[in-house]
Amino acid sequence: MNQRIGFLLFLIAAVYLYFSFQLPNYPYTPVDADVIPKGLGVLMLILSVALYFSRAKETAEEKKKRDIPTRELLVIAAVFAMIFVYILLFEAIGFVVMTALFIFFSSWFLGYQKWKVNILVSLLFPIVLYVIFVNALGISLPSGILPL
Amino acid sequence: MDAFQGLLAGFQVALSWEGILFVLIGVIVGTLIGMMPGLGPISAIAIMIPITYGMDPAPALVMMAGVYYGAVFGGSTSSILLNAPGISGTVATAFDGYPMAQQGKAGKALAIAAIASFFGGTVSVILLMILAPVLSSVAISFGPPAYFALMLMGLTAISSLSEGSTIKAMISAVAGIMVVTIGIDPQTGTQRFTFGNINLLDGFDFLIIALGLFAIAEVCMLILNRKNLSLSEDQKLGSLKLTKEDLKEMSGPMTRQSMVGFIIGVLPGAGATIASFISYIFEKRIAKNPEEFGKGSIKGLAAPESSNNAATSGAFVPLLSLGIPGSGTTAVMLGAFLVLGVQPGPLLMTDRPEIFWGIIASMYVGNIFLLILNLPLIPYLAKILSIPRPLLISLVIMFSLVGVYSISFNTFDLYMLLIFGALGFAMRIFSFPAPPFILAFILGGMMEQSFRQSMTISNGNLSIFVNSPLPLALIIVSLLSLFVPVFLNWRSKKIASKNTGL
Repeated sequence: MNQRIGFLLFLIAAVYLYFSFQLPNYPYTPVDADVIPKGLGVLMLILSVALYFSRAKETAEEKKKRDIPTRELLVIAAVFAMIFVYILLFEAIGFVVMTALFIFFSSWFLGYQKWKVNILVSLLFPIVLYVIFVNALGISLPSGILPL
Repeated sequence: MDAFQGLLAGFQVALSWEGILFVLIGVIVGTLIGMMPGLGPISAIAIMIPITYGMDPAPALVMMAGVYYGAVFGGSTSSILLNAPGISGTVATAFDGYPMAQQGKAGKALAIAAIASFFGGTVSVILLMILAPVLSSVAISFGPPAYFALMLMGLTAISSLSEGSTIKAMISAVAGIMVVTIGIDPQTGTQRFTFGNINLLDGFDFLIIALGLFAIAEVCMLILNRKNLSLSEDQKLGSLKLTKEDLKEMSGPMTRQSMVGFIIGVLPGAGATIASFISYIFEKRIAKNPEEFGKGSIKGLAAPESSNNAATSGAFVPLLSLGIPGSGTTAVMLGAFLVLGVQPGPLLMTDRPEIFWGIIASMYVGNIFLLILNLPLIPYLAKILSIPRPLLISLVIMFSLVGVYSISFNTFDLYMLLIFGALGFAMRIFSFPAPPFILAFILGGMMEQSFRQSMTISNGNLSIFVNSPLPLALIIVSLLSLFVPVFLNWRSKKIASKNTGL
């Protein structure tokens, strides 16, 4: 596993280094804006090689952490997709409506059965948060389609 | 202003009705978030930052400090009741706390934890009060090379002390600094790695990194464990009363381990987690009956509890006096300071004494609150552990999204939050520690700045870092902290192979 991650990091470091060399130069500065990125890129290359060749065996505990059923990964991906949709529609539809929908559907999706409690929390949480942020803290959240 | 006067002024901040209110809110919120297995002080502090956004810095920071040690305190409750540490600093608490709970003595275990935490917290606040001003006055004379070396030491220390592979921890740290280089270079105005995207000009807000790498990644872990780990409704707490013998038995470990915890907390890299383990092992070593440890020993519970709280206050020493965080959590604390427009460091004590001493005074007050509030309230607070996981997951996600949005009002940042959340989750499953990343992210900009200042002073000559004793000593310590573990590892393998005759 370390080999694969090491290889991936090596590629990332190489790309990063390539772009560091594209940075424009300014005369009269002892250390220009490109010096640190170049240094970091080289350091990352060295570390990725070290990881590739490191003989440290994965402990059983580490392996267990990595061993996640595909089904569970799909669940996480689905939650991420829901967050994505939330962000996409957040400003157009508004905070209260989107948040209520998100809490209800993601809780339900993750296996929460008591739908009455779920509806109550989904409605109360965004409304309370909206009132606190907008009225008490003076931070405006998008009201969207609701006439707030 | 001398320390005594300063402290009086600090108590004026902490004991004003505003101060008391915010310390109270801080410790309660911190305790509640810290209790949730998986959610630690980093997420707790990050989630609270947007709330403080419009507040005065002094009460806001007092509240943040309350959130921090409240979270450490809350972590022990879930360790004892569920055997599921809320935070890594309370893993050792579960060793003896959970067996006690299983024997029907959960209430007693919680009371011991509360008193030991209070004691550890109080001792270390006193030490913090003595040590921080001394360090501040020394640090005023630090030049850029010393600062650079100091930050380097903090970074290498946390990398070498992280659990697991040192290489992986170093990769985390380097990646953290790489992320800082995105945006406009503050010194020359050059755009770095922005690829023409205006959203990237300012770089990433630290809240995106903190909430993504910790809160969202923790949410992913919670999703994986959503079915297990809930407090059963009928779990008995038992009496909270302690006998004189119990108190006598606790007193030794509490006194010793508060000191140990504080010292470990002050050191860069090591924090509550390492402190609690060392204290546990320490007490077991010197105990007359070490075989009781792990089966519900009072000493085994009191030791890590006083130590982890002492380490929490100890970690404020470098943060307040040098302006340099020594751990992932204090890095996020530093972020909270900066969001509120306060720069911690040697000048804080003279420029903003109300903040410097206010935080210290509020820790005294906060510790007392934690004790008197939590002892009677523990049975009720513990109810939060029975919040259904799916609901908890959805709410944490919402808090994180609203938090980031309320700082930048930009949905681009929300997408970035999602990306860093995915990165944080990947780091967890592949065992890359996240604290070096966040620490490097916070220190990266400062390190680059002090490095380039040093280079400007010396006209590009690197020898500036080795010509004066302080930077030289710090750089030697940094190098040692990286290579000593590697060497020890190599040696122990060699000895092992010799002994097996290979």
